[in-house]
Amino acid sequence: MQGNSKFTTDLKPVWCRGCGNFGLYAALTRNVFPSLGLEKDKIFVVSGIGCASRIPGYMDTYGLNGLHGRSLAIAQGAKLARPELTVLAVGGDGDFFSIGAGHLPHAVRRNFDITCIMVNNFVYALTKGQTSPTTPSAPPGDSTFLPSRSYPPVNPLLDMLSYSVSTEASFIAQSLSTDIPHLSRILTEAIAHPGFSLVGVLSPCVTFNPPHLFASIKDNASYLVEGEPVKLPETTGRNSWLHDPGDMAHAMALARIPITEMPFLGVLYRGAGPQ
Amino acid sequence: MVLLGSLLQRLAALQGYCGQMPRYYGAQIRGGATAIRLSFDIERPSLPHDIPDILVCFDFSQYHEIEDELGLGAKSAVLYDGLVPSHFLLPDTSLPVNFDEISQSITGSPRNKNIVALGTLARMLPLSMDDARAAIDEDGELRVVQRNLPAFLAGVELVDGLSLPVLELSPAADQRPRVLLHGNSAVAEGAVRAGCRAFFGYPITPASEIMQAMEEALGPLGGVYLQAEDEIASAGMVLGASLTGMRALTATSGPGLDLMTEMLGLASAAEIPMVIVDVQRGGPSTGIPSKSEQSDLGHAVCGGHGDAPRAVLAAWDIESCCRLASESVNIAEEFQTPVILLSDQWLGQTVIAVHEDMLKAGPALRQRKRPLGDHQGPYQRYAWSDDGISPMANVGDKGFTYQTSGLTHDEEGRPAFDFQAHQRCHEKRHRKLETLKDRHDLVKVMGAEDSRAGIIAWGSTAQVVIEVMYDLDLQKQVKICLPELLCPLPNKVQEFMDNLDTLLVVELDFSGQFHAYLRSCLELPARTRIYARAGGRPFSRTELAGVLTEFADAG
Ligand SMILES: Cc1ncc(C[n+]2csc(CCOP(=O)(O)OP(=O)(O)O)c2C)c(N)n1
Ligand code: SF4
Repeated sequence: MQGNSKFTTDLKPVWCRGCGNFGLYAALTRNVFPSLGLEKDKIFVVSGIGCASRIPGYMDTYGLNGLHGRSLAIAQGAKLARPELTVLAVGGDGDFFSIGAGHLPHAVRRNFDITCIMVNNFVYALTKGQTSPTTPSAPPGDSTFLPSRSYPPVNPLLDMLSYSVSTEASFIAQSLSTDIPHLSRILTEAIAHPGFSLVGVLSPCVTFNPPHLFASIKDNASYLVEGEPVKLPETTGRNSWLHDPGDMAHAMALARIPITEMPFLGVLYRGAGPQ
Repeated sequence: MVLLGSLLQRLAALQGYCGQMPRYYGAQIRGGATAIRLSFDIERPSLPHDIPDILVCFDFSQYHEIEDELGLGAKSAVLYDGLVPSHFLLPDTSLPVNFDEISQSITGSPRNKNIVALGTLARMLPLSMDDARAAIDEDGELRVVQRNLPAFLAGVELVDGLSLPVLELSPAADQRPRVLLHGNSAVAEGAVRAGCRAFFGYPITPASEIMQAMEEALGPLGGVYLQAEDEIASAGMVLGASLTGMRALTATSGPGLDLMTEMLGLASAAEIPMVIVDVQRGGPSTGIPSKSEQSDLGHAVCGGHGDAPRAVLAAWDIESCCRLASESVNIAEEFQTPVILLSDQWLGQTVIAVHEDMLKAGPALRQRKRPLGDHQGPYQRYAWSDDGISPMANVGDKGFTYQTSGLTHDEEGRPAFDFQAHQRCHEKRHRKLETLKDRHDLVKVMGAEDSRAGIIAWGSTAQVVIEVMYDLDLQKQVKICLPELLCPLPNKVQEFMDNLDTLLVVELDFSGQFHAYLRSCLELPARTRIYARAGGRPFSRTELAGVLTEFADAG
């Protein structure tokens, strides 16, 4: 997977074979950075702590694998001090939605030109499989989702997409780490977007996800294409509409549909950069 | 009250008088009892005396709320308004003065009572009235007095009308106008002077004025300023800015320092320059937000997990607030380390009238060691060197990409999981701070050089100890050591101890953290005494006079 792109280091990733993080890594180093014509010394990748957050070590850019949940704070300081940098904040669902959740709405509000890549593998992987705020819990016996480990069970899960939309970030998108061409297109657009971009990357943790979880995500996914009708779950009972990423009301309607029912992939919302 | 104090201090400063104006206030958001004290000195900003010559109280029914911190003597001239509680015995020299009513009758509003009292006090001190009148016409900050000149003049006339005492005040030794600032603004001044161009912070008493001063200073300089969502973020932003090569600062008080501690650890581990100013208040937890204590020392020198070295400096007067802020920025840059500058509520919020020369002599700018670009193979961010300091590229520099983390790492910054690498990382980070122990200039020693009786104190406590030594004329009998660099502790402090038979440690915290810290670093004389008590009330001259006399007498 490493390829010979000039954006990789010779450090071998520690990820398990088949881990979705390889997809993100390939997308960034092989497609996104080269296609944007970026120079490696003008890229700063700041991450939190977790499996996904290991990524800066493998990319020959400036990189910091910092503290659990704090990538955005460091990223914003760097971007303000040196605006010509392309700054990426990368982390897991634990990073952005649990320990570091307090930072996210403020980063959105400031709308600095930073791309926030939230790798959602539905679990705390590095610490070996504990539930995360995005873990879809299920009654015992259901093998698709992780059994709830809270008594009483904590539900509903914190849906990345619906949260992102509620913040009205100026760019909101979701993709799959296993669909590298799609992910590459989305990330390229996110980085090019002049304001703060939130990109959810749904990603399999082959070690700690129940085997059917990611398969069900892929099976149920609905790809959003600008100008084309949106595929909605039958249960919504609504008529479809033509996808328009400029329409926040539509983004909100999509965000109401639980990820366990239908994950939407593509650019949900594209608003203005900083004024 | 604060307005009255500020105006009077300004009037006096324009005539060349130095002085200090500490503030006393309680938990109220607005209103409630507030007080200031004000000293006038013809040559230096000395501490106010415990017993005032004059006390003005606008509402005596609230006096008891801060009585503890103010003090009153049999000869104090008391001008008071409001009800005096029946049990309270005022000195004979007391007089009720209805400032509200006078203000009302002259200006149509009781709100100008401050201006009336200003006139009275200016006359009682006495300041030069001609100079005061000229200043009121010319000085922008005194515009409010000019607008209410009749109130001011009525206040002046009260002195003759009521036969109030007039004190004796010599003209200032040097009559050039003094600058007025508090420790918090002096810290901002020092940081900016040392090239600090980024500030990130979160409001907290008693440190918020640093944030405000940085906001004002950095705008015109094209710097970066942001109020973050919390102290974790402020400290994180400092690291982000610092990694790109900018000198960055944050300021907080104890509760915020707690939150910044994980970033402090990262800065230490990954060797990222960072400066945190901690304006201490009473702890633990929320404690007493508006009052001083020296109880963050332990956290400053070793707070956080995992053996994370840092430098800790401590300001003790207005000049050192400014100079050590510059020094902190310099040390952070030169040693690629986190630096904590300790101040406290007293230092931070006491407004001082001083000659501006005092703030001018800052240290020269020290630079980060930068890579030359002559490396073969990949750039080694943590290249091993004798002094432990490696060349550091700025994020964004051409040709020096590197990846780092809070993980134990090799010279390139890549994660390492073996004992050898781990031991080396610790060695490197500790070793590079070793040379700071030779910074003899950051330890002040005063008093009787040959004396075998020594006193050691740090921070604002040292200011009181020094004043009291001179008050009691003990400077030929004892000597005082005042370390400005607390961590690593300079060797000069051990040298001070080596020549002593007896030592007195004075500190404003309940458990004696300073003494415990000194014991962990140094050999102390067998006869060592500690005078430590909780903060909440600053040390007074009278209190420490007792302590120092007893110590000096015991020999
Ligand atoms: C302050 C702190 N608390 C706990 C941890 C332990 N920890 C490391 S990674 C992690 C969670 C990882 O989950 P996530 O952020 O979803 O990333 P993933 O590993 O799944 O990619 C935790 C709890 C830590 N590093 N720091
Ligand atoms: S534990 Fe899961 S997320 Fe972590 S490397 Fe393995 S597969 Fe990837």
